[in-house]
Amino acid sequence: MENKMENSHEITSAELKQAKGRSLAQETWRRMLKNKGAVIGMIFMILLIIVALLAEFIYNYDTDIVAQSASSSFSAPSAAHIFGTDQFGRDIFARVLYGARYSLLIGCGSVAFGLLVGLLLGSLAGFYGGFIDNLVMRANDILYAIPNILIAVVIVSLLGTTPLSLLLALSISAASSFARIARAAVMQIRGQEYIESAYAMGLPTWKVILRHIIPNCLSPIIVQVTLAIGSNIIAASSLSFLGVGVAPPMPEWGAMLSDSRQYIRSAPWMCIFPGLAIVVTVLALNLMGDGLRDALDPKLKK
Amino acid sequence: MSDNILEIKDLVVHYETDDGCVNAVNGLSFSIGRKKTLGLVGETGAGKTTTALSILNLVPDPPGKIKSGSILLDGRDVLQMTDKELEEMRGNDVAMIFQDPMTALNPVMTVGDQIAESIELHQHVSSKEAFEKAKEMLKMVGIAESRAYDYPHQFSGGMRQRVVIAIALTCKPKLLLSDEPTTALDVTIQAQVLELMKELIRSQQMSMLLITHDLGVVAETCDDVAVMYAGKIVEIGTADEVFNHTLHPYTEGLFNSLPNLRERGEELIPIKGLMPDPMNLPEGCAFAPRCPYATEACEKTQPELTLMGGTHCVACLAYRDAQFSLRRNHNG
Amino acid sequence: MIRYILKRLLLMIPTILLTSLLIFWAMDLTGGDPVQTILPENATVEQQEALRESMGLNRPFFIRYFDYMLGIVTGDMGTSYVTKLDVFDTFMHRLPMTLALGGTALLISVIISIPLGIWTALNQNTWKDTLGMVLALFGVSMPNFWLGLMLMLLFSLQLHWLPSGGSGGIQYLVLPAMTVGLGLAALITRTTRSAMLDVIRQDYITTAKAKGASHHRVIYTHALRNAMIPIVTAVGMQFSLVMTGSALAETVFSWPGIGLLIVNSISKRDTPMVTGSIILCCILMALINLLTDIIYAYCDPRIKAQYSSKG
Repeated sequence: MENKMENSHEITSAELKQAKGRSLAQETWRRMLKNKGAVIGMIFMILLIIVALLAEFIYNYDTDIVAQSASSSFSAPSAAHIFGTDQFGRDIFARVLYGARYSLLIGCGSVAFGLLVGLLLGSLAGFYGGFIDNLVMRANDILYAIPNILIAVVIVSLLGTTPLSLLLALSISAASSFARIARAAVMQIRGQEYIESAYAMGLPTWKVILRHIIPNCLSPIIVQVTLAIGSNIIAASSLSFLGVGVAPPMPEWGAMLSDSRQYIRSAPWMCIFPGLAIVVTVLALNLMGDGLRDALDPKLKK
Repeated sequence: MSDNILEIKDLVVHYETDDGCVNAVNGLSFSIGRKKTLGLVGETGAGKTTTALSILNLVPDPPGKIKSGSILLDGRDVLQMTDKELEEMRGNDVAMIFQDPMTALNPVMTVGDQIAESIELHQHVSSKEAFEKAKEMLKMVGIAESRAYDYPHQFSGGMRQRVVIAIALTCKPKLLLSDEPTTALDVTIQAQVLELMKELIRSQQMSMLLITHDLGVVAETCDDVAVMYAGKIVEIGTADEVFNHTLHPYTEGLFNSLPNLRERGEELIPIKGLMPDPMNLPEGCAFAPRCPYATEACEKTQPELTLMGGTHCVACLAYRDAQFSLRRNHNG
Repeated sequence: MIRYILKRLLLMIPTILLTSLLIFWAMDLTGGDPVQTILPENATVEQQEALRESMGLNRPFFIRYFDYMLGIVTGDMGTSYVTKLDVFDTFMHRLPMTLALGGTALLISVIISIPLGIWTALNQNTWKDTLGMVLALFGVSMPNFWLGLMLMLLFSLQLHWLPSGGSGGIQYLVLPAMTVGLGLAALITRTTRSAMLDVIRQDYITTAKAKGASHHRVIYTHALRNAMIPIVTAVGMQFSLVMTGSALAETVFSWPGIGLLIVNSISKRDTPMVTGSIILCCILMALINLLTDIIYAYCDPRIKAQYSSKG
């Protein structure tokens, strides 16, 4: 029996969804598809991943990527070489496509690793508070004080200029930001009443975490993952550009740009295309990330 | 010069959203006399706040659109005014008090500056003088003058509402719009704030539109009462007429759902059903689906406000039958 | 407020200590043998040992660390292996160049982004909004060293309007500052837009309008002042990006700041310079963070009150 004096019954969006028989994931997916930018971004990323996977089969590393040919060096873009050739006569188009492997590997790998570590530490800090929280937060503050690039410098000095050390270095900063987000999300949810009622029902702690807390933290984390991959790809290429990341002759996009800097006057195409590849990739990721953010919380868009 | 400070005729306001068109106000008409207080009663979602914002021509656009109608403030149609005229009118001729004092004040400006702003906008005085006047206004609403230098977060809810009142009354407006001014406050503070408002209105000889869902507040403060349902006025008259000689079934339902101190053992009688979805209003009378007196005609035709004696009007087809009267009135 | 600042400065010390310990340890591991660099090729083992002894390189790690930290206080952080100049002096000499670059970049970005952010927020969901957002999205997706190269290609090599590198006058500052500033502008535009969208929905904006405030007054005096709070926070958080960006721009345009210093020192394996520069950079970052927090407190009186009372 409703007393109609106070408020008319406001139906929450969650109830509406339930009424329509869709889960949150399906709703989010549906909204994503409406966003043209996000769809373009997703399609591009799928294509890029396919290219990166197939590159190993289409091109032979030794003959196509690093072999030098003085005769065809410094050719401008043409039908034979869509992006032109570099100072060693290597086809830039092939190198750019192959280079996608490094960017995706380092970008996704560092975020995946950072996510695992960061989520774990952040959730523990947020959930238990006290000493663990203090420890994690102090460590985080220290990492925060050191700019990304300097951490990378230190780690790369220790481990050498390989993709792995770059991945490790970037994982650290990724872990730091995920820990922060996870901690904030967990702390906020922990205080909610439905958690108290879950305990009151007799659910053990681990079940409360698994069933109630983690699913509700996911939205900010999912958005951050997409955006973090993009910013880590930029970071990786920046570090390679400075000579603190992947080194030539590996066709990592940043390393390619570092190499081609000196030829900018005579062969500008060498500097244009690898950078363009970075821009387009990160753009696609940002479109996806923005689309995800809008889809997960449509109120923000309005 | 007419007797009425405010005359609204056939106001229609829609909110055009992605999910559909919300018919917030559907042909609203009422007037407020000079120095009179009108209580606008209705549930959340009836369109009361939209009405008040329309008077200031402040309906957020997008998505809100004032589709048709006229709002005469002291004879001038608000909906036809230019931006400049509106800026001069707002705060000066009409002022508004909002529902939630916790969010109505700018957190990064001192309280004194916010009151002084109102003065500086409408009167030609230096900012120093404006600030002095602001302090006087604080005193008038019962706050120490020295607190003019404080920020809103340093005040409690009740005091913030007093500041909001001070801002509204600074330029001595002719009409005060109060949107649920005490709903967000504790019960004890509610009484204080209401007293303050009554006193100030009386001394400044203002008219007031008091929006509320609380019939008790209406009984205490208002000369006239208008009952609103689904964006229209369904009953209007003096407080005595509406309270003691109720005409509309909805109003009857409102009174019936109030607990009666004298008859404690009785069951509460709520109004069955829900208010109609403003995106999907019925063809005929909006209250018909819930009305215990509804007939077939009610579902097809929308009733118009008809004068039933004195200043008492009601929009109900039942009164075509001259013998009709509500059960409430049978029992006396 | 003063007490808060002092407290923060004091808290900085353990963080700096720990950070510098980590850096010193890491660089010590990788450092390479300075003796090889200093002495000629044909030096004997005894000569190398003798030099090591005199440089104190055989002492245990913590003693060397302690000595080094003491050095920071007195301003002595060793000498460069390569240039033989004092590390601290070199750093301080180059610091103003980077600050000039960073400051100009910040100025450029704020001039572009805040009006653009406001414009897109007020015209939400129109073509103006889409245009602004697309530009900002591009800016955020671009690695700024590539932007630098492209700017150099266009303005320096094709149009010959500006020099392509070095220092000496304001014309040398333009391209590097644009490189850092445009990327930053893209970021701040997005932040400004979302902050403004948030703020103009607030009740106190309706109150201001109901007072009869003009549109201009509502946007600038009421909305923007409140939007500045999340904007300053976001910019503050991204400040390390400005530093990184400056380092990249300095590399592309050979602008003699501390970014270029560190990059060159790394490639030349100049351990004391790298160690010293990184530690000093961290101290600089910590001070800038503190400055950001203070600015933030002045934007938001609620925070200022918190800082003042807690002390």
